[in-house]
Order: sequence, then structure tokens, then C-alpha cells
Amino acid sequence: MISIQEKVADCLVRAGSSFREDQKEVYRKAIANEEIESSCWVLKQVLDNALVAEKRRSPLCDDTGIPHLFLEIGKSRSVSGELLEQIKEGVVLGLRQLPGRPMAIKGDDYARIDQSGGLDEDSGALVPSPILIKPVDEDVLRLTILMLGGGPAIRGITQRVFHKHSVDVVVDEIVNRAIPAVSQLGCSPCTLAVGIGRSQFEATSLMMEAMAKGDFGVQSDFEKRITRKVNESNIGPLGLGGKHSVLATFAKIGPQRASGVRIVALRPCCCFEPRRASVEL
Amino acid sequence: MIELTTPFSEEAISQLNVGDVVSISGYIYTGRDAVLPKIIKAGEEGKLAEKGIDLQGAVIFHTAVSPAGVGPTSSNKVEIESSFEPLSKLGVKMHLGKGAISKETVKKLSENNAVFAVIPPVTALLESQTVEREIVAYPELGMEAMNRLKVVKYQAIIGAAKGRSIYD
Repeated sequence: MISIQEKVADCLVRAGSSFREDQKEVYRKAIANEEIESSCWVLKQVLDNALVAEKRRSPLCDDTGIPHLFLEIGKSRSVSGELLEQIKEGVVLGLRQLPGRPMAIKGDDYARIDQSGGLDEDSGALVPSPILIKPVDEDVLRLTILMLGGGPAIRGITQRVFHKHSVDVVVDEIVNRAIPAVSQLGCSPCTLAVGIGRSQFEATSLMMEAMAKGDFGVQSDFEKRITRKVNESNIGPLGLGGKHSVLATFAKIGPQRASGVRIVALRPCCCFEPRRASVEL
Repeated sequence: MIELTTPFSEEAISQLNVGDVVSISGYIYTGRDAVLPKIIKAGEEGKLAEKGIDLQGAVIFHTAVSPAGVGPTSSNKVEIESSFEPLSKLGVKMHLGKGAISKETVKKLSENNAVFAVIPPVTALLESQTVEREIVAYPELGMEAMNRLKVVKYQAIIGAAKGRSIYD
């Protein structure tokens, strides 16, 4: 019988080393449709890289990312402190197997901020983010691991939008924020992750859920509008121009506040993201 | 696809144009924010040979080297982009990374018959094409130390050459 730790470790390695089928397909379509030769070459390189990474179970990118955990729980299931500890141990095991880039910062509060304490050489020393727990109607206990890289974190923005009672205003503001973010990221084509909620925490949680559940083959009208408008910027893969600055948008719109403001979390996921995999525990 | 083997000759570099896809084989060096200023200082003091570093016709790949592999960091970070001119004067012919660089840097490269090449962040592919790696200088910098890699057919696209940039 496979232990929880082994299941989690395998899930983390898959998240960091493979594309899902919908992700491969969106690249195949982009390669077929991209007219700029150099940009098409970039798209092929990214897809080839994914195929090699999957075969070797090796990292897609040398920035292997920080593990973020999304746990879905059905009504009849329960989570114990012991299970959370086993998940944590599985993450350590998975980071060592991948292997993750050893980038845990050592030391006290000040040393972790200015990095004066140096780096831990153990890939497994990288502490995952707090677990996001979501009740679901399915009879399931499902863990999704997302490996979030540093570049998109630098360019991500969580900020209010005064909506003026217009969806167009919100879409336009997301697009206005996304274009420079995609351009500065460098590692395009991007997937835009968007969460819209009542507070910074809620919006970011919704953005995480969008990354955990989004499907390149299933796009809402809202998501298509954002993708289409950002692609008009002609940034292209690696900034080389072309039709594919953004492959898709994964948006999750939550409950909203009775006010003139919406809080929007936006992350320009890099060409390998969302790097994610799921496992039932 | 233009096949290139290190060390690069002046003539081989002078024939490259923006948009050319090249395949790079041979020994290349790595360096990014932390180590490049130290390499420049050592070069200006004539101390590269004692460290076993030969930059004539060389490639500098802007990457860390960790157990996870290699992959380009943004070449327009201050410490990296400011290294283009002095390293080119010390013999480097190709700066390998990603991201748009300034017009001034493009001009300086041209004056020194050097190029900037853009390499996608394809770590798994690059790992399968890297056959040797060794730390050659400043091991105390950990994954940002200067490494020498032996590579086979790394693919890149010429991003700046002869005063032109692919980002123009």
C-alpha cells in the first residue's frame, strides 16, 4: 500500500515535471497558428522541454517554485493533524526527489529578509505555503500541489478596481495591468490567473483556486475577452512578438461586496505554469 | 540552424544576424548577478588565467547552476547587463540569457563584435544537453558560482547583433 507521504511526493514531482494533456494541446494549437517564425520556435522548445521533463521526471524549469497546497474535502471526509503532518512530510520527500532548487533561506526574521543567513543546501528544507482548504460536493479528499515560480510572483498584482457598475471597466483594468506584467515577465506565453473577491485574502484565494482548477480547453466568455485583449499587445513568446502573449486566462469570480470596489488578484503565470498535479488521498 | 562550437572565432560571430537560430556546442561559462562583477574585476587585474578561466571566444550563460539544472535569468538585471561591455572587451563573444536589453548595450556589443543570444528557459532540455559541469571560480557563491559546462546543441536565437535588436 502506498503511503500518504509517497502519494504526495509523487504528486509534487508530477507538478514540477509535466504538462497536463490540455496544456500540451494548447501549445500544439499555438504552434500551428503562430505566424512569426522565431516565436513558433520558442513554443516548440517549451513543448519539447515538457515532453523531455515528463520522460525524465526532471524539473521543467530551474526555478522549481514554492509548493502551494490546495485541499478539496467532501462532506463525509475529515482532515486530522496527523494527515496534515503526513502531507508536509510528503512535500519534503517530493522536493528531494524532483529535485527542487535548494532555495530555503536560513536564519531569524531579519536574516530571512536580507538573506544574510545563507541558503539551506537541502531541497526539502523549502517550507510550503499555508494549505488552502475548500469544501466540495464530491465524496473526495483531493490534494492539488502547485509549484509557483519567482518571476510571476514579482509581476503579480493584487489591488482594487473601482468598477463603476461595468464589467468592461474591470476587464479593461485587468488587461491594463496584465500587459506590462506579461511584457516584463519575459517567460511568455503566459496564462493569466485572476481572482475577484471582497478582500485581498479572498481575491488571492480565488486566484489560487483558478490556478488549481483551470482548464485550457474550457474558457468562459470573461476569460476569452481578457486573453483576446492581452494578445492584441503582440508581446509574443519570450517577447519576440506574435499572437501568443497569453495562452489562456483562468479566472474565478467569488461573492462580491455591496460597494463600488472589487479586489482583483492577478498573476501572469509563466510558460510552464500553472505547474500543478492532483492526488486523491 | 547555424552550428557553432566554442571558442567562437571573430569571423563566425561577424556572420550572425538578429533572428538566426544557432546551435551551441562545446565548453561555456555560467555567471549571473553575484559572480559577474567579480569576474570583470579579476579580468581587469589580469587574474583570470590563474583561476583557469579563458574568455577568448567564450560564451557566458546567465544562469545559476543547481541540482534542479540550469535556465536563463533576466539579462537586463543591472549587474548582468552592465557586464556585457567589459566582458566583451575581455574576449567574450556571446552573452546568453533572456529579456530585452538597452540600445546602448546593443551598440556596445556591436563595437566589440559580440552578440546577445536568447535561450528559452527549457531546463529539462538543457539538462539533457549538458554533459559536464564543474565549478571554476568563487565556489562560496553556491549556485551562483562560475561554472564551466560542456554542452551539446543548446539552441538559442540571436537577440542582438550588428547594432540591431530582435526587440526593436
